[in-house]
Formats: sequence, C-alpha cells, structure tokens
Amino acid sequence: MERTKLRWIGIVVALLLFTGAGLSHISFNVDILKLLPTHLPQVKGLSLFLKHFAQPTELIVTVEAPTPEAADSAADALSEAFAKRSDLVQRAVARAPWEKRPADLSELLAYLVLNQPPEKIRALVASLSAENADATLKASVEKLGESISPQEVALLSYDPYNLAGVLNESGFLAGNGQQSEFSSADGTFRIVYVTSPHGFANYKAAIAWVKQIRELAHSTVPDPTIHLGFTGEPAFVADISGSMEWDMMSSGFVTLLVIALIFWLCYRRARPLFDLQAMLVLIFTLSLAAAGLFLNQLTVIGVGCAAIMIGLSVDYGYFVYQRSLRHGGSVAELQRQCVRNIAWTSGTTAAVFFALNFSSLPGLSQLGNLVGIGVVIGAIVMLTVYARLTMRFHGREEARPPSVVERLFSTPGFWQKGAVLATVVVVFLLGALLVKGPPPPDFSARTLRPRNSEAYTALDRLYARLTDDRDMLSLVVAGKDEGEALKRLRTAEASLAAAEAHGDVKSFRTALPLAINQRANLLPLSMLANQIPRLRERAIAGGFKEEAFVLDEAMLRQWSAWTPKMLFAPIGTPTLIWPDNETSRWIFRRVASRDNGQFLALGMVTPMPGHEDALTARVQSDGTWLVSWNQLGRELRHVIPREFKHVILALSGIVVVLLTIAFRSLRAVGLFVVTTALVLACLAGAMSLLGMSWNFFNLAALLLLLGTGTDYSILLLLALTRNGGDAPAAQRELGLVICLCACSASSGFGTISWANHVGLASLGQTCALGLIIDALISLFLLPRVWTLIHPKKQSV
Amino acid sequence: MRLLFPFLFLLCALPVFAGEPPDLTPVKKWLIKQDELHTVQADFTQTRALRALRSPIATPGHIWFGGSDTLRWELGEPAKTIVIRKGDTYFLIQPAKKKVEKYKADSIAKRGGAMGFAMMNFPIAKDFADFNRQFETLAVTVTENRCHLEILPRDAQAKKMLEAIKIDFEPSSGHLLSFELATRDGSSMRSDFSNVRVNHKIDRHVFEYDFTGYEIVDGKN
Repeated sequence: MERTKLRWIGIVVALLLFTGAGLSHISFNVDILKLLPTHLPQVKGLSLFLKHFAQPTELIVTVEAPTPEAADSAADALSEAFAKRSDLVQRAVARAPWEKRPADLSELLAYLVLNQPPEKIRALVASLSAENADATLKASVEKLGESISPQEVALLSYDPYNLAGVLNESGFLAGNGQQSEFSSADGTFRIVYVTSPHGFANYKAAIAWVKQIRELAHSTVPDPTIHLGFTGEPAFVADISGSMEWDMMSSGFVTLLVIALIFWLCYRRARPLFDLQAMLVLIFTLSLAAAGLFLNQLTVIGVGCAAIMIGLSVDYGYFVYQRSLRHGGSVAELQRQCVRNIAWTSGTTAAVFFALNFSSLPGLSQLGNLVGIGVVIGAIVMLTVYARLTMRFHGREEARPPSVVERLFSTPGFWQKGAVLATVVVVFLLGALLVKGPPPPDFSARTLRPRNSEAYTALDRLYARLTDDRDMLSLVVAGKDEGEALKRLRTAEASLAAAEAHGDVKSFRTALPLAINQRANLLPLSMLANQIPRLRERAIAGGFKEEAFVLDEAMLRQWSAWTPKMLFAPIGTPTLIWPDNETSRWIFRRVASRDNGQFLALGMVTPMPGHEDALTARVQSDGTWLVSWNQLGRELRHVIPREFKHVILALSGIVVVLLTIAFRSLRAVGLFVVTTALVLACLAGAMSLLGMSWNFFNLAALLLLLGTGTDYSILLLLALTRNGGDAPAAQRELGLVICLCACSASSGFGTISWANHVGLASLGQTCALGLIIDALISLFLLPRVWTLIHPKKQSV
Repeated sequence: MRLLFPFLFLLCALPVFAGEPPDLTPVKKWLIKQDELHTVQADFTQTRALRALRSPIATPGHIWFGGSDTLRWELGEPAKTIVIRKGDTYFLIQPAKKKVEKYKADSIAKRGGAMGFAMMNFPIAKDFADFNRQFETLAVTVTENRCHLEILPRDAQAKKMLEAIKIDFEPSSGHLLSFELATRDGSSMRSDFSNVRVNHKIDRHVFEYDFTGYEIVDGKN
C-alpha cells in the first residue's frame, strides 16, 4: 500500500516537472514560411530575404494626416518623442538621413560611379580634361536651360561636370517625384522607422515593446484626425503571436464548454462530466508540455492542435463511459473490453496524424505530431485513469433513469427517420456537387494571412500610399564570403542581362561593389583630385557659382581618399570599397548583409509581366534566388496539389492495410472505402454550396478526415462484427457514442473556424463539416447497406 | 536610390503675407476670354534663373495650342526638347537622343513630375470655378494694360516645391504675356511670350511627329 502511494507520488512529481519544463519552452513562430516546404527555392530564398533584410527590430510607424503640414509635424514630433526614450528606442528616423546631411550623398554617388564600366569612366575622365572641361560645362548649362525634369535640373545644378551622369542608364537615378520611403508624393502619408535597442527574447517581449511604442506614439499625437499605423517585423510578431495565443486558448476553452454541454444533454450526470473535463485538461496540458519539449516553435497551424486534440481525445472518454454504464465487472475487465476499440481508433488516428510527417509542409507535420501525441496521451489517460474514475461512482450512476437523449437513441423510429434524413442530405449534397461542380482552388496569399491584423492593414496602406513593389522580384545571392557571393551575383547579372535582351526583364538593379571595375576606375578617378582647383575655376568661368561645385569636389576627394585602401591592401586579398557613412549604411541595410559567416546581397528586378517563371528558371542557381510573394504563390500552386495527392494516396493505403488486418474482411474494407468516398463527395458538394474553396490548409482536412472521421465507420463495422451483423443492435450500442464523438470533434474543429488565421479557420470549417457528414453516413446509412449486402449471413 | 533627390528641394518656406483678399474680377474676365481662344501660336523666351548659376539662361521656344488637349511646345533653336500633347498623352521628345517618353496627363496631374509640364499647361483652367479649385490666389495687380497674377497650386506636392506661379496677361485681349514658376529654392523659370497669334489656322502636321527610329518608353513622373 505504502509502495503504491509512493509510486503515485513519484508519478505526479515527474508529471509536474515534465509539464513545467515543457510549458516554459512553448514559443510561437509567426513566419508563414515555416508552414511551407523548405526545399522549394522560393521558400528558401524568401526565408533568407526575411532573415537578413526584414529588420527584425525595426518597427514602421505610419502617419496619415489630412494635410502635409500636419503629417510633417506629427512625424517630427514622434521622432523627437522616441529619441528621448533611449531605454525604448535605439534610433527613430522620420526623414532620409541625407536631408540632414546632404554632403553624405557625395560618398554614395562616388561609390556608384566607381562601380560603373571602365569605358564609361574613361569617357568621364576625358570630359574633365583641360581640353574638354569647358565643353562639358557648356553642355550642362544647355541641359539646365532645356530640361523639363526637376530632378535633372536639381542634380545638374550641383554637379556641373555631370559626374553622376554615368549613372543615368543604371536606373539608380530613376526618381519618383517627391515620393520616397519616408513620404507619399503629396506629403500626407509619412513613415517613421523606429529601432529597438535590443533584440526580442520571445514574442511576449515583442508584444510589450510594440505596446509601449504604440502608447508613446498615441500620447505624442493625440489628434484624432491623424491616423497612426504600426507595421514591420516586430508589429507582425506582436500581432500574430497575440492572436495565436488567443486562438489557442479560446478554441480549447470553447471546445471544453461545448463538450460539457453535449455530455450534460446526453447523460445529465455531473460527476463523470467533471472527471471527463479534468481528464481533457490533463491531456491537453501533457500534450502541450510534450510539444514544448520535443517540437520546435509552434506555428500558426500548430495552434489549432488544442481544440482538435481535445475534440478527438474525448471520443475515448465517451466510449469508456458508455461501456461502463453497462459494465458489472472490475476496472481491469472494463479496460480490457475497451482497449481493442480504443487501440484501433486511436491507432489509426495517430498513425494518420503522424503520417503527416511524410508531407513536406512543416506546418502540417507539426500539427500532425501535436495531435498524434495528444491522441496517444488521450487514449492512455482515458483507459488508465478515466476508466477507474467511471467505476468509482458506478453504483450511484446505475440507479439513475436514462436521459431523454439516451431514450431517443434506443427508439427504432429514430434510426428509421435518421436514415431517411441522411439519404435526403446525401442526395442533396451530391446534386449540389453535380450542379455547381467541385470547390474551386484558391492558392492566393490571402489564405496565408491573418483575418484581422493591424500590422497587415498598415502595410496595405503603405503599399497603397507609397510604392507598391509586390510585382518586383528580389534577387537574393548568398555566399560563404563576399568573394563567393559577388561571384554569384556577377553570374546572376549576366543571366539578367541576357534575359533583358530576351525580353523577360524590364530592368534590374544591384548596388554591390564590382571589384574589377573598382580596380580599373579608382586610379584614374582619384587622379582628378589634383585637378580640383582648375575644375573649380573653369566651372565658375563657365557660369556656375562656387557653391555649385561642392558636390563634384566632394566626390573627387572621396575617390582620392579611397585610393590608399586599395593600393596598400595585402597582395592576394580582394579589397572592395564600400560606402560607410551613416547615410550609406542606412541605404545599404537592405542591400547587403553579413551574418554568421555568410554574406548576402540583394538586388531588385522588374520582370515583364507573365515572364516571371521563365526568368526565375533562368536566373535561379546554387546560392542565387529570384523571389517574391507572388512567385511563391505560383510555385505553391504547382507543388501543393501534387504533394497532397501523394500524401493522401499514401495515407489511404496505410488506413486500408490497417483495416484489412482489423476486419479480416475485404467486403468490410470495401464498404469502408465506399463510405469514405461518399463522405468526401458530399463534403465537396457542401463546400461548393457554401461558396468555400480549396486552399493550402483545408486540403489538409482530407488527411484529417482520413484519420478522424473514419473512426465512426470503423467503430460501426467493428460493432456489426461483434453483434453478428445485427445492425439495430450495433446502432443501439454505439449510436450515442458516435454522435457524441462527432459533435465533440466537430465542435473542436468548429471552434478554430473563427481563428484569426484565414487558412487555419478554413481547415476548421472543412473538418467540422466533413465530420458531421461522416457521422451522418456512418450512423444511419452504413448499417443499412451492411444489412443489404449481407442479407442471409448474420455474422462475419 | 530614388530617394536621393528630394533633399535638393528642401529649402526654407517663406511665409505668405496674409492681407485683404485680392480682387479677382480681372482673373474672371481673363478666364472667360480664354473660351474665345480656339488656337494660339506664339514664340517665347524661357529664362531660367537657377541658384547654382551666376546668370540666367535664356532659351527661345515656340508654342502651338490647337484646341482642347492638343498642344506642341518646343524649346531651343533648333528644338532640343519637344512636348506634344495628344488627348490624354504627353510625348516628351528628345531629338538628340532619339528618345520619346510617354506620360499620361492624369498621372502627371497627380504626381510629382507635374512641375515640368506646368509650363505648358494651356489654358490654365477651364473656368473660374476650376481655377479656384486648383489654385490659391496670392496677389492680383493691374497696371495699365497689364495684369500681374500670383497664384499657388493647392496640390500639396506642388506647393512643397513652388513659391508662386506668376502670370502676366493683357486684360483687354486676354493674351498671355509671361508665365513664371518661382521655386522655394530661389530659382525661377520664366517664359515671355511674343508674336502671339490667336485663332489662326494651324497646320495639323504641327501636332504630328515621326517617331521612326526613336526609342519610346513610359516616362516616370
């Protein structure tokens, strides 16, 4: 006795430690790329892009005001208020750094010119010679008199020798009027970039930081006519993690409530209900702890596991309880009676969910592992603990009269009317499928997004008011060092140049250093520094004021300053010139990145519409990706349906093999296959009728239905076998249980229908619908068909 | 990289003197007279006074207005820059580069590049209501047969760059005498018109241009 007590105390302590350790490790990952196949080039490239260029600690605050003046002062006030809070903000930038320090731009322009082809630079140097300088200046003056481009006039006014003119064809000087990454063209939409002084340890830290910034911003700009928005990586993490946490908790809680309600309606017994609820909380906690310990961060899809595993685990509890009501023996005997059914149903369910690991979609694999773990834990807990508890109050429960629902399920009329209703529903849904056709596919990015997200709303406004670059492709080049990355970049540039000639590309732009050009250009350019007095004097003589020569002079001096760096570099070391003042660093934060022994470079490509696939195929190679969210959608449209087809076929095979072993009857397996096919056809009809479509997520519903919905037909077929083919007896025995299971599981899935993530919600809706249809067909039609195909034989 | 330029325009804004509202009667009359103009041909001299230059640059040019949405404007002798408007499209032609940039009139009106084209926006407004919708009037001065009008576009973006648009016209005939864009950095672009011929027949070929051998691209405003 004492030893048993000690053993129980030991088990409880171990479980508490396990739970504590597991739950403390739970973390969320809001990156939707984590849900997608990692072997896809688009997923790989975009992941690198987000990791290195998405600025994880940079919050984008948008300011939308009725007038440009109001937007201006609000943006400045915010920037000032943020700057005062050094504990909260490392840097707040409301205006382009070069507005404060225009002179900084000379370094960037000097760098860009330095990377141009040597023949252009030779021509430039020649245009500045004593013989040609006057003609160059004259041409500039003429251009200043004739140009109608304000940008050209503005730049040439301070660049009389047109040094930046060599960049004209490179696209670097392509302006967009007054629009910038800080302001819309009309000035009524402004951006403030706010950087946190440190990284975020977890999503709760990101939520807390964004909340503080939001409060500070709203107290700084209380004017209700000025609308503030918050987007960028920290805002997405805060927004999506918060809604994931809420989705998980609320759907789990509501599922528990619905289960309690269903149980009460059916049995009207409080004690077993409380015990069952306690078991479900225990199963959920243990499963989550296991997930925290053994799985990586929870993705948005994994969040749906709580409601699903509760909805599925409760099935075993119902089964145990239902059997206990008619059980007169010991606990061990009850456990023995239940173990075969629970082992088969939980076994097939867990097998199917674990088999989601065969899918290349990590989000689905994670969901499969979580629910698989939950189902196994659920089966063990219900068989070992709940079976014991149901027998504890057995004597008192037995005396109670059956509830209205219990009486209803034992009435033959109920089953007859149910069969008629099920037939009508099946015919109606099949008719809908015939008339409306199957649900259309929707593989757009919409299903990857949350339904409500302030960060997304602010980003959409940003796209609408500033430049929408979603049609552009990002060229992501990675290498173990600068040399390798730049070598790959050159190859990619050559491919892009060929693609441009072929008509696949409108334009492309990279701003990475070209070692060969830098080496060829730096010396002739730096020699010009000696000519500064002459060039200044000729510029003044040519009609320019002395101040007009400031930019050119700064560029000439910059080339001269860079020369020793290249000339005195150790032999054999490739030395590259990078611009490194504050303005250049700001611009280059989205151009190049060094991290953990990896060097990444970024370029922008504008493809010809409709040529994206050809272009991507042409440019993509080892360490080089051409990516965009739209291109990812296109890639997934090709890959995902094929992927699901393979996984569904494999899982169907597994289920059929398992059932052949369980039933030892090909006819029973055949009936199961037909039932499942009918369920899927009716589901497709119902989805068409409700205007639903197939997407990345609810395609997984097919897999889940194979794992969960099939339980009902398996239980019925096993009961038919047990009862010697007596359909009414099988229905009486399991009708209520299956009904309870279907209601609980569909309420589990149903509660994630309102999840904030569009894809997860659609998965919940589809599964809930499928389970109800499955239960209806399995309960009312399957036994009838069984009787029809076994007219004489009463047992299998 | 497209962000490199706006800084060049960021210069101190001068406060606009707020006094008695100007009498706009001459403007109303002038705009009514614009309705009587079916065609206009004129020569002009464009004078650009830029902050970076020690003295203004004067360049001759010609303008032909052939009814609504039909215009040819050219600068230089021979023309170095030609703009032809046909319907809702502007063609900016650079003969030396054999290059044509196409712009949609409505996108020019909406976006920042409008300033360059403002010089050839003729007539300036359809009627007085349209004028008031587009512009804020800063000053109206009438001296003998010359009315001097100073206006500022209501468009926020144009307002950021412009200090004033200064227009001189003859109140009696409604003929435009000069048109000047004064920018906030202290620069200005002024066109003085001469040899103005009103309602003379204009050869339709004036509004045509042979683009053979030209590279035609969509312009970026």
